[in-house]
Amino acid sequence: MKLLTKSTLYIATLSLFLFFIMGVIFFQVLKNMSLSDLDRELGDLKEVVELYLYDYGGAQVGTLPGIDSLSVRPAGSATQTEDIFGDTLKFDLKTEQYRTYRYLQYILEKGGSNLLVRIYKSTTPTDKLVERVTLMITLMVILFLAGIFFLNRFIFANLWKDFFDAIEKLKRFETTKEPVILGEQDIQEFDELKQVLEVMTRRLANDYRELKEYTDHTTHELQTPLAVIKSKTELLIQSENLGAEEMKLLEAINTSVHQLSRLNSTLTLITRIENRQFTEKEEIGLAGLLDRHLELLQEHIGLRGIMVEKQYRDGGRVVIMDQGLADLLVANLLKNAIVHNIKGGSIVVETGPGNLVIKNDGPPLEFSQEELFTRFVRDTRRTGSFGLGLSLVKKVCENYEFKIEYSFDQQQHTFTITFPY
Amino acid sequence: MQILIVEDEASLMESMVSYLEMEGFRCERASDYHTGVNVLDKHNYLCMLIDLNLPDGDGLELVKLARDNQSESGIIIISARNAIEQRVEGLEAGADDYLVKPFHLSELVARVHSVARRTHMNGGEVLGFGPIRVEPEEHTCYVDDQQVDLTRKELDLLLYFMANRNRVVTKEGIADYLWGEYGGDYGSYDFVYTHLKNMRRKLMDAGCPDYVRNIYGIGYKFSLD
Repeated sequence: MKLLTKSTLYIATLSLFLFFIMGVIFFQVLKNMSLSDLDRELGDLKEVVELYLYDYGGAQVGTLPGIDSLSVRPAGSATQTEDIFGDTLKFDLKTEQYRTYRYLQYILEKGGSNLLVRIYKSTTPTDKLVERVTLMITLMVILFLAGIFFLNRFIFANLWKDFFDAIEKLKRFETTKEPVILGEQDIQEFDELKQVLEVMTRRLANDYRELKEYTDHTTHELQTPLAVIKSKTELLIQSENLGAEEMKLLEAINTSVHQLSRLNSTLTLITRIENRQFTEKEEIGLAGLLDRHLELLQEHIGLRGIMVEKQYRDGGRVVIMDQGLADLLVANLLKNAIVHNIKGGSIVVETGPGNLVIKNDGPPLEFSQEELFTRFVRDTRRTGSFGLGLSLVKKVCENYEFKIEYSFDQQQHTFTITFPY
Repeated sequence: MQILIVEDEASLMESMVSYLEMEGFRCERASDYHTGVNVLDKHNYLCMLIDLNLPDGDGLELVKLARDNQSESGIIIISARNAIEQRVEGLEAGADDYLVKPFHLSELVARVHSVARRTHMNGGEVLGFGPIRVEPEEHTCYVDDQQVDLTRKELDLLLYFMANRNRVVTKEGIADYLWGEYGGDYGSYDFVYTHLKNMRRKLMDAGCPDYVRNIYGIGYKFSLD
């Protein structure tokens, strides 16, 4: 969730909650106030009614100023000492609707007989008032929320602008490895952030460059001595007067030098990918690429009695990437599928518009899945492997923002590459 | 049978010279760009081996010069750089082959033979070894005039052995020569044994003695004795 959305949501939730409670209280208070007003008015009207009843003998019942309706009848045996206030519905002939009325009922002594008097007053005007006020408050709330919403946006667009700039620059750091340098900051916290980021990324960029150069130089410088050892060993092997013991020693040297030079060339390759030295962009049909590599690997596949199943949907995926890296990607995935297979196992290669999937039979991993793409993590059951193949694959995928996933199910390893566009 | 070697690493130069001289080649040495330029016309070279990374100049320039000077010679670039662009650049400058350091001397010799065949013999060459006769351009092999049906890889293997006759070649060397990057990376040399076994069987079936000797597990030697 975005910072903006989240903060807006917090503010909105809190203000809605507060406004609701305030609204309820306000409504109640208003209602009570208007009711007690009405009741006081009704009480004041008692005098008017008495005057009226004395003056006119109580014969007729009609309208009196301030009174909506009045009923006077003999109280009979009914006794009531205190005034009673109540609500009731009365049918209004004019509008043909029931209306709510507030009434005051009391007993009036007149000429020795008791009269039960009810003074009615319509609550419609007060209800209307409450309604209006409530509506206005609601409107205010809405306006307030809208204001908050826009204010928040404004704050984000202005106050937090530098913060978002920093994020953008940090994102780019991953590819450019250039120190993140932000502009002048007039907010203290952002100024601190700017300084911390600058120091941190400067050091990171520096470390990265140094490591890169180091690897670059090491791998390059190693090549010559390796070539010397390799050639001297080969010359030594030709010597006529070597016994079995010496040959054994030479073989060990030979094998190790060979491994070392392979390791070196792979590391060189990884460094070159990291340095983004593969920049050609070509349209490459994965189906054709897979076919070509499977053809090249035919002997390795045949030797292990592996069955290959191809499933190309819609002619397979076409990607735009460097030919060298595409070869590397496919070659290493297939190599992996071959060498970690079982005798007489199977390999399934699939490619469709959105993905590339390579499955192979084989025993479960000896290490955790998370380590699979890490350098130098390898199957100890196999010698002569450095555990660099899959980290190469990962590097290539990272280079093009392809997503690579691994899963293991029913003695089958599955590598899935999904393409982002 | 002169070969020019331009290489600044003395130790590696010595190795190459020793191995090539064992094969009967004579070598002209140049340890830097300028010496290389000076000896370019000294002989009619069969093949020139040129390192790209020289202390006083660009090996690639030397390749171009050499190509202009001696159009008949084969040129093999030996370089520590292993990028496709550099290979392409080298081949476009006029080189016939590109060998990445560190390489096997046996592979170097096989490549020298192969390049020399292409540049000097215009194909049509016939190679002999005991009763074996190989026409590399035709991809055919005969034992006492009887054609032996070898696969492409088996024939390459045979040519590799013939180029390195009487030498011990390692299984890693064979794998690298036959499969390049697809070779040793597979953690097992089973496929080398398979091809070797098939080649020997086919040759022996045709009445050829087995010239391949296993040398203490380190590799093989192909010789008449």
